[in-house]
Amino acid sequence: MKIIIVGAGEVGFNIAQRLSEENHDVVVIDKDQSKINHIQTVIDVQAIVGSGTSPSVLTEAGIRETDIIVAATDSDEANLIACLYAQYLTDYITKIARVRNPDYMEHTEIFKQDFLNIDLIINPQSEMVNSMLKLIEVPEASVVIDFVDGRIKLIGITIKEDSPLVGRKLSSFQDFEHALLIGVIVRGEEVIIPSGQDTIQPKDLVYCVTRRDEISTLFGLLNVREEGLHRIVIVGGGTTGLALAMSLDKTNINTKIIEKDSERCLELAEKLEKVVVLNGDGTDRDFLTEENIADVDVMVVITGDEGNNVLISLLGKALGAKKTVTRIEKLSYIPLVSAIGIDTVVSPRLSAIRAILQFIRKGKVVCVAPLKAEVAEVIEFEALETSDIVNTPLAEVKFPKEAIVGAIVRGEEIIIPRGHNMIKPHDHLIIFALKGAIPKLEKLFTVKLEYF
Amino acid sequence: MRFRQIFRLIGILSIFIDLSMLAPLGISLIYSDGSTFPILYAFMVTSGIGFILFLVTRTTDYSSISQREGMAIVTLSWLSAGLFGSLPFLFSGSIGTFTNAFFESLSGFTTTGASILNNIESLPKGILLWRSLTQWMGGMGIIVLSIAILPFLGVGGMQLYKAEIPSPVVDKLQPRISETAKTLWKVYLLITLVEIGLLFIGGMSLFDSMCHAFCTMPTGGFSPRNASIAHYNSAYFEAVITVFMLLAGVNFALHYKFLKGNFKVFGRDPECRIFLFILAALILLVTCNIYGTVYHSIGGAFRRAAFQVTSIITTTGFVTSDYAQWPPLSQIILFLCMFIGAMAGSTGGAVKVIRIILLVKYGFRETFRLAHPHAVRSIKLGRKPVPEEVLSSIWGFFILYVGLFIVAVIFMSALGLDVLTSFASVAATIGNVGPGFGLVGPVRNYLTIPDLGKWVLTFCMLIGRLEIYTVIVMLAPAYWRK
Repeated sequence: MKIIIVGAGEVGFNIAQRLSEENHDVVVIDKDQSKINHIQTVIDVQAIVGSGTSPSVLTEAGIRETDIIVAATDSDEANLIACLYAQYLTDYITKIARVRNPDYMEHTEIFKQDFLNIDLIINPQSEMVNSMLKLIEVPEASVVIDFVDGRIKLIGITIKEDSPLVGRKLSSFQDFEHALLIGVIVRGEEVIIPSGQDTIQPKDLVYCVTRRDEISTLFGLLNVREEGLHRIVIVGGGTTGLALAMSLDKTNINTKIIEKDSERCLELAEKLEKVVVLNGDGTDRDFLTEENIADVDVMVVITGDEGNNVLISLLGKALGAKKTVTRIEKLSYIPLVSAIGIDTVVSPRLSAIRAILQFIRKGKVVCVAPLKAEVAEVIEFEALETSDIVNTPLAEVKFPKEAIVGAIVRGEEIIIPRGHNMIKPHDHLIIFALKGAIPKLEKLFTVKLEYF
Repeated sequence: MRFRQIFRLIGILSIFIDLSMLAPLGISLIYSDGSTFPILYAFMVTSGIGFILFLVTRTTDYSSISQREGMAIVTLSWLSAGLFGSLPFLFSGSIGTFTNAFFESLSGFTTTGASILNNIESLPKGILLWRSLTQWMGGMGIIVLSIAILPFLGVGGMQLYKAEIPSPVVDKLQPRISETAKTLWKVYLLITLVEIGLLFIGGMSLFDSMCHAFCTMPTGGFSPRNASIAHYNSAYFEAVITVFMLLAGVNFALHYKFLKGNFKVFGRDPECRIFLFILAALILLVTCNIYGTVYHSIGGAFRRAAFQVTSIITTTGFVTSDYAQWPPLSQIILFLCMFIGAMAGSTGGAVKVIRIILLVKYGFRETFRLAHPHAVRSIKLGRKPVPEEVLSSIWGFFILYVGLFIVAVIFMSALGLDVLTSFASVAATIGNVGPGFGLVGPVRNYLTIPDLGKWVLTFCMLIGRLEIYTVIVMLAPAYWRK
C-alpha cells in the first residue's frame, strides 16, 4: 500500500516508522527541512520538504497512486485542507485527519460523506478520554484494551512479590488455562512472548487476555485485591479534564476535580452536576492532604504541564493515592516515568497513533493495540476461508516463534486456546506478537489465492 | 562499530561479485580460450572467502546500520571487490604482479579505465569480458545493486546508499530505498541493452558491442581493442558511443522521469542545462582550435572534438585520436574537463557540474555582499534555495579534492615522474577518467609508473569514486573514538 503522511511531528513520525517497517510505501511531507533530514536518515521513507496543503507538493508525492493519506500536522485546518486536496486529486483515496479543536467535534457530521468526506477523524483527546475511562473501570490494571466490542479484555498487570504465581512455570497453569492466557511478559527492558517453560517473576508486567466476566477470577489468581472504585480525583480542569469529569458525572463514583484558575473553576461548575470542583494548586501538599488524597482510589493528573504532572502524581502516591494516571505528551519520556514509580501513563499522541494504525490495518486485521514501547502488539485477525491456518490443529500451524494466539472468538463463544483447538473460517483470533513477527503473520493470514 | 554486521555484509557482497564471474566463465567456455580454469579458480576462492565470512558472522540485524558502519562497509566492500576482481587476471597469467592486477581491477570497478595492459587484444575473451563487467557493475554501484537485490537491508540500505552515492542532491525515486535502487539498475540495464543493439546493428561483433556498452554506460572506458574506439575508424560507432557517453553523464533520475513520460525533464533541470551548455561550448572551442591545425575538414575536426570532449568530461576515457598532439588550448580544455566531470547522480566521476555551479554562485554572492554588506541572499538552483549546510559540505568536498590532488601530485613527482605526468596521472585517476597526458597519455598506459605510484593512484581512484568523504572519514581519529 502507498501511504502519504503529512506532518513529521511525533505522531507522523511514529506512524511512518511503523508502516515502513511493515513494508508499506510511505511518503512523508513536512515543511521543516531539518525534520525531513532526520526522518530520512532514520526510516526508509521518501521525505519531501513542502506544505501538505499544496496540491503541487501532493502531486509530487504521488498522490494519484496513493491509497491512504494521513494528515497529522499540528494544525487542524491544514489537516482538513490536505484531505480536501487529496480528495480532489484522487477520488478513491482514504483520508485520515487529526483534529484537536473540540469546537470542531461538536458537529462531526460535517466530516462525513456529503461534506468533507473524511474517512476517519482522530481526536486524540477523546481517544485519550476513552482509554482513561477503560483504565478507571479496571483500576488494578495498568493497561486495559478492549477486543470484540469489549467482550475480551487485554489487561496489563504488574506482579507483586506476594503473588501466588511467582516462580511458577506457565505450563503449570493447566487448571485455569480455560480462563486466561498470558501473552506477553515485560521484564525490565525485555519483552518476552512466553512458552510453557517460562516462569513468572516479581515485578514482571504481564499482559493477559481474558473474558470480561472472568476478570475477578483473574484478579483472584493474581492475588490482586479488588476493592472497587469509589473516589476519583482529577487534577487539571482543561478540556480533557472536563470531558473526563462529564463522563464520570453520570456515574455514582465520587469525583473531585482540581483546577488552579478560579474563572475556569466557575465554568467547570456550570457544566458539572455531581462532581465537586475545587479551586487549588495540585502541587500544594497541604491542599491535597486537606482533600483527603489518602483515600482516593484513582488520581488522574492531566494538567497542561508535563513536568508538573509527573511531580503531582509522585506527590499523590506519597500521600497515599492507590493509583495514578498521568498524562505525558512526549513519547520518549514514557518508558522513563514507569521507572520512577508512576503506574499508568496516558498520552494523546500515543492514543492518536493507536487509532490511526488500527484504522489503516483494518480489513483482515480488525483491531491492533501496541504494547510496551511498541515492541509488541496485540492484533485481532479474522481467519479467512482461503488461509492456510484454518481447519488445522493449532499445534500444527507453522506459527512464528515470536507470536502466540491469545483467544479464538467464534460467534458468541470465546475460546482460550490450547494446542488441539482448531481455527475455523471466520473466527476472530487475538494474537500477541513481537514487532518482527507481524509481516510473517500478515502473510499467514492473507489469502493464498484470490478466487474470482 | 559492530564488526559482525560489517563483515557479514562484505561476505554477502563478495558472493555477488563471485556470481558475476559466471558470465566470463560461460564466455571462456564458448570460445574455449584457455581462461576457463583460471576464472573457475577465482570463482571458487571468492565464493569460499565470501561463505566463510558469511558463516562465521551470524546475525540478522541489519536495520540499525549506522552512518559510520555504512561508510566502513562501503569502503571495505570496494577494496574487497578490487581484490577479488584481480584474481582472474592473476590466475590466468594475463597480468603478472599483484600490484598491476589490483590496479587494473580497481580501475575497472571505480570506472576509471586506466590500464596497465600493453597488448589488450592478446588476452582471452573471458578475461576481456570480466574486465568490462567490473566497470559495468562499478558504474551504478555494487552496493546499490546489493540494496536492490537484498530486501532485508531496510533502513540500513539507506546508510549504505548514501555512503556509495554521496551526491549533494538526494533523489529518492521511490518511497523505499530498495525500490529506488532497483529502478536505477533497470534504467541502467535498459540503456545498456539499447547501446549493445545499436553497436551490433552497425556491424560490430556481439562480443565487442557488449564489452563497449558495458564500459560506456558506467563511463568506464576500457576497450577490448588496443587502439580503443579508434580501432574501428567508423563515424557511426563514434556517434553512437558519443551519445551514450552523454547519456551516462546525465543524472539517472532524469532518465527515469523521461521514461515515465516527463519528456521536458532534461530541459527543466538546471544542472542538466548547464552541463549541456558547457559541453557544447567546449566542443565548439576545441573544434575551432583543431580545425586547420590538426584536421583539414570541419567535419573531421568536429567528429574528433565531440567524441574526445564528451569522453573526458563524462570521465569515460575512450580515445579516437591522440589528443596529446593537439594544440595547447585543446589540451588545457581536456585537462580541465577531467576536473569538471558529469552530473551528480550519473555514473561519471570528478567534482561534478552541480558542485561547480554552486561554488561559482557562492563566489558571486560573496562579491555581491561586498557591495551590499547588509544584503541577505540565498543561493538557488533553479527556483529552489540550497540549504547552507549543503553549500558548506560542497566547500569541504572541493577543498579535500584539491588538497588530496596536490598531495598526490607531490608524491608522484617525488617518485621521479615529470611534471605533466604527475599532474595528469593524478587528475585522471582521482576523476575516474583513465587516460591522461604525458607518460599516461591517450596512446600510452600506466605500466611504466613505479609500483608505489600505482598504489597512490589506486587510492586516488577509490576516493574519487566514493567521493572522498566515505573513505577519508575512516582515516580521521574522531571516526574511531567511541
